[in-house]
Amino acid sequence: MRQRFWNALALPGGAWLVVLFIAPLGIVLAYSFGTTNIVNQAIFGWHPANYLAVTKSFYAPIVLRTLLYSVLATLASILLGYPMAYTIARFGGRWRLILVGLVLVPWLVDYLVRIYAWVIILGDNGLLNTWLHDLGFSGSPPLTIVTTAPAVVIGLVYDYFPLMVLPIYMAVDQLDLDLIEASRDLGANGWRSFCRVIFPLTKHGVAAGCILVFLPMLGDFATAQFLGGPGTSMIGNLINEDFIGSGYPPYGAVLTMLIVIVLLVSMAATSIARAVSRLRESRSEAAWPVSTTSAA
Amino acid sequence: MSTISPAVPTETSGHAPAKARRRRLRGFYRPRSLWLVTTIGFVLLLAPIAVVVLFSFNSGRSLYVLSGFSTQWYSSFFRSGSIISSVELSFEIAFACMVICAILGTLTAFSLARGSRLVSGSMSGTVLARLLSPEIATGVGSLLLFTQLHIQLSPITITVAHVAFSFVYVAVVVRSRLVGLNPELELAAQDLGVSPMKATRLVALPLVWPAIVASSLLVFVFSFDDFVTSYFTTGAGVPPLPVRIYAMLRFGLTPVVNAIGVVMLVTTGAVAIAAYAMFALQSRRDSAVPETLPDTPVSQGIGDVA
Repeated sequence: MRQRFWNALALPGGAWLVVLFIAPLGIVLAYSFGTTNIVNQAIFGWHPANYLAVTKSFYAPIVLRTLLYSVLATLASILLGYPMAYTIARFGGRWRLILVGLVLVPWLVDYLVRIYAWVIILGDNGLLNTWLHDLGFSGSPPLTIVTTAPAVVIGLVYDYFPLMVLPIYMAVDQLDLDLIEASRDLGANGWRSFCRVIFPLTKHGVAAGCILVFLPMLGDFATAQFLGGPGTSMIGNLINEDFIGSGYPPYGAVLTMLIVIVLLVSMAATSIARAVSRLRESRSEAAWPVSTTSAA
Repeated sequence: MSTISPAVPTETSGHAPAKARRRRLRGFYRPRSLWLVTTIGFVLLLAPIAVVVLFSFNSGRSLYVLSGFSTQWYSSFFRSGSIISSVELSFEIAFACMVICAILGTLTAFSLARGSRLVSGSMSGTVLARLLSPEIATGVGSLLLFTQLHIQLSPITITVAHVAFSFVYVAVVVRSRLVGLNPELELAAQDLGVSPMKATRLVALPLVWPAIVASSLLVFVFSFDDFVTSYFTTGAGVPPLPVRIYAMLRFGLTPVVNAIGVVMLVTTGAVAIAAYAMFALQSRRDSAVPETLPDTPVSQGIGDVA
């Protein structure tokens, strides 16, 4: 009886998700097999060949470029985010909550204003180039960054960086420091103890961070629009063009489905990885019962 | 990584050195290379914001050269009727979204924490998918849904779409609070003669209240700052502030954007600090609520039941 009441509470939220999350994605799926009428309005149909569009010479480089940018930006987020999260979580002392808060501060500034700030810094007449010029570097501008791939990757890292730091921070926070000490007692140097103990015990945080930053990077379009140039369009720019601009909506739907497929695959991969590690844990516990309290 | 001070393990290390080493490992000491990277990271994170704040007070028209102090960009911001109407619209949408999400998210949280395995399992799967979905996919999807159903795009469609992506945050935060509650507390209330529903209302709800408020305030920030979903669900008429900024940037960069950015930073910053204060209140309460009930007749009664 009571169980039924708690179940019923799922109704409003569930209905909202069905109507405004699952149904919209269903319509995108339907559109991806559709076509358009003479005024370029999408109409439903059965054209699976739409999916071959991503292999066409116009789309394929953009799809590959988006994957490349997102992978590079994710790696850069790990390289900068892991040391930051680790340092804050282990050595932040009583400042740690404030330091984590500071990581989140960029999010309080509007997403587009953040991108625009990087144009001020990296632009041809921007702060960086002014300094380089004053330092005596020749060329006008000394360094062209905006309109190139590095600017887009920098922008992508900046947009989603906190989503990498937070899960790693939580993983390091739960780390049992005695295990690190034990590895040191057994003769491991700092690097070895990081590779064999610290990283394996926090890699679930890294994995969560990767999923959290990689997926939105795949769909981002404002970063490439304002920090990129003609040769740096990403999937998001195509989707935007296909639906809001004058593109071909079914192809936009195909590209959107591409992102959804990556989402579903990464969700499946995470749940499989979790099941495997749980299985392994229960097995190793059975073989080697660890007791922390009775050690005398 | 030469981060951890090289503690040389020796067979002869007795009790006292081990203790000293532990203090060194656990204490607030500074592995220099790590703090260096962290400092660089913070500079990179905060420099763009400093730039926006600095240039919002620039007296020149230039985007790149600071020429003096003035508040002209703020006055042109506050004088621009179209920007102010966008601020008002964003405020209204964010407020409506916050209220709806507080209710919807809390109901969902109870079903996640206490529903049957089938319901909570399928709900949490959908909630997780919603949390991870890139906004562009759901934004485009919402646009197609509204056009399919011949629903005119309006502030209402924006709000409805915002609720769809943000109430799951409330649900997840409140759920984790509910799961962490001591179930004995509600049983105790029932022992004292109230109905199960009333026990939930009198015991569980006050305990999760700070989590509801804090996560709803965060939803306000998410909705106020949201660009992608708003972009796809805004029709003709006044756009929300982030969509307005997008249009302004497309027509060319203007220093007014700096002033708008700072005003948004101050607004969302104030809301975020309020949310943080709620979390702090909650953790103080946590230390006040006993993990297990003291040995009173009530707890013995629970012992009999359990």
